[in-house]
Amino acid sequence: MTVVEQTGVPKTTPPGRPRRRPSPLGSKWTPYLFLAPAALFILVFQAVPLVQEVYLSFTRTRLLNPTRSEWVGLDNFNRIFSDPEFHRTLLITVVYVITCVVVAIGAGLGVALLLNKKFRGRGVARALVTVPWAAPGIAVALIATWMLNAQYGIVNRFLDAVGLGVPGGAILDSSRYALPAVLATTIWQLFPFTSVVLLSALQSVPQDLNEAATVDGAGRWATFRAVTWQVIKPTVGLLALLMTIWSLRRFELIWLMTKGGPVGATETLVIDLYSQAFDSKELGSAAAIGMVGVVISLIVIIGSRLVARAVEKGDVR
Amino acid sequence: MGNQRARFGIARATCALGLVATLLTGCGSDGDSGDGVTKLTFAASTFGDPGRGPLLTKWLDEFNQSQTKVQVSAAAVPYPTFGQTVLTQMGSGKGPDLVRFDMPEFEAASDAGLVAPLDKVIDAGKYDLLKQPDQFMVHDGVRHGVIFEASNYAMFYNADLIPTPPTTYEQFTSTAKSLTKGDVFGLAFRQTEAEEAGVWQDIFNYVYGFGGAWSDGKNLTINSPENLKGLQAFKDLYDANVIPRGADAATFRRMFAEGKVGMELNNGGYVTATRGQNAKLNFTVAPIPFPVRKQGAILAPIVINEASEGKDEAGTFIKWALEPQNQVKLQEILGASSVATTTQRSAESLKATPFLPVFDGLTETSLPQIVLGFEAKTPDIRKVVVQNVVAALQGKADLKSALDRAQQQATELVR
Repeated sequence: MTVVEQTGVPKTTPPGRPRRRPSPLGSKWTPYLFLAPAALFILVFQAVPLVQEVYLSFTRTRLLNPTRSEWVGLDNFNRIFSDPEFHRTLLITVVYVITCVVVAIGAGLGVALLLNKKFRGRGVARALVTVPWAAPGIAVALIATWMLNAQYGIVNRFLDAVGLGVPGGAILDSSRYALPAVLATTIWQLFPFTSVVLLSALQSVPQDLNEAATVDGAGRWATFRAVTWQVIKPTVGLLALLMTIWSLRRFELIWLMTKGGPVGATETLVIDLYSQAFDSKELGSAAAIGMVGVVISLIVIIGSRLVARAVEKGDVR
Repeated sequence: MGNQRARFGIARATCALGLVATLLTGCGSDGDSGDGVTKLTFAASTFGDPGRGPLLTKWLDEFNQSQTKVQVSAAAVPYPTFGQTVLTQMGSGKGPDLVRFDMPEFEAASDAGLVAPLDKVIDAGKYDLLKQPDQFMVHDGVRHGVIFEASNYAMFYNADLIPTPPTTYEQFTSTAKSLTKGDVFGLAFRQTEAEEAGVWQDIFNYVYGFGGAWSDGKNLTINSPENLKGLQAFKDLYDANVIPRGADAATFRRMFAEGKVGMELNNGGYVTATRGQNAKLNFTVAPIPFPVRKQGAILAPIVINEASEGKDEAGTFIKWALEPQNQVKLQEILGASSVATTTQRSAESLKATPFLPVFDGLTETSLPQIVLGFEAKTPDIRKVVVQNVVAALQGKADLKSALDRAQQQATELVR
């Protein structure tokens, strides 16, 4: 029995065996078949709510009477953008995101470089460093809240002991220290992930290139810039994108630690969205805030793609 | 080949049956037991109280044992998220059949038409309802709730630290200051934005205790001179460092139970909780020593969800709860709180808690923590006021500017 493929090359099958039907796994639809469950999930649980959110953002809808919705066009957007409090929320969001991305990647890189060196107990250190990442965000927030508790928290005891104590010890109750405290907790949770990812990237740096650079007389910094950085740059770019999106969306940690307070000092976009939806019960305004978040995320994603392409073409070093 | 096909067929049929069975199980309602018994849920944050929750559940069990057609089960939703959780459910046409609300959420739900009228369910004239709290259960002649718990605010003090309670505001502040040493604080109150509803309850006593009010019934009076005076007293105590700053209610209540806080203003429901934390604590209560004898009260109505399919059965429960012997039992569970009807304290209760008459004596001067005339907007006004008061505590604005700002923002909200 002979099967002739499109290339014209004859293919023989062993004699005596019955002809098999082509396996569905070999068809051109196979990739779509495998993608279908995920695509369906995204369609039902993300795309449909997103479309609903877009619609809601142009309506005045109260949480208590969601069926009595009223089309108000751009009113919600006009209202939030004319509110100075929202400008402050945007600023806090930007500060929060940039700090999280820069410090988490910086700290992760530092730790990854250390863990990439050979030393005794390296395996244990590599395992331990992942612990904060393994802990759920809610647990991390509760641990941090207890550590920062004004009366019983270990952080206050330590700060008092070294003469840096906050008056009254109310770090999370202080509009000056609450944001740094929330940032420190977020970064503590994030940097293990960045360090693990960067460690794996560092391990793909060809050792002979490093050695060649050293032989050529390059110092540590020059070797890092010329060799290591060039290899891990795409990973750092991907991490920066992921961290940005995650930080924009981070809710539970901030909510549990400060609920966006005091006096809005830690109020990011998602906290504002939640407050509008469930405290003020204004679903329309909440949806408008959500749309702002979506647009920022899209800008970040498109921007990162453009930068990545420019880097590939060699326009940007 | 044929066998293989048959195996695939069996596998496909099994999967399909499994799927159908799963879907049927998932869609099935647990509201009907199928034997003619209507199952209702009763949501209350107090079911989660370590002291009172188990006793309230037993009280529900007594109802269930007395019935053949209705069964009520407890749904404990934590206090901090109770309002938004239940209101969100009710807004979408679902939620528990019976709800024990706090007043701001009760007013919001009632205004939105989410609460069933009770006039046809109970004959109010049949019961000896407490007039002062009960008047707030009726809106425009329509009864929307019945008092489940009415709890007046008084001053709790640690009798080992304070042998004679202060009777004037000056004595109150000097006692708080003199007690504050090391890890002992003279006073405690909520002052963080994270506890917005609690801060509102606490500052309510200062505003009303200094002759203020949030409105005159028609207009908001957030920045009135009396309110400024009351809230300045609150801020002065905060600035004097006589409170454990940053401590949430759970923390400072534990400190009170441990004898590390001298005084706090709280409601009758707190008596059982304090004893639950430390049965040996020597504490007692006195009226709040502010210039005007007016203070807040936790009024917690029980309501029937308009979306409930078992309104009549829910009414059966409310009528059972209003029966004199069940009111007495409920009052015993709630401790120093009052219930819907006038009940007599037993000799045993008075012996165990001699200060119960102090709470009872405050009923006529207690007010629910809502903005009169703007009841349904109370949660929104509360948010604005608390944010601005916390801003003043944080030194972001002076108190008068903060109140002016709150007045302006809240007025825009209710316009």
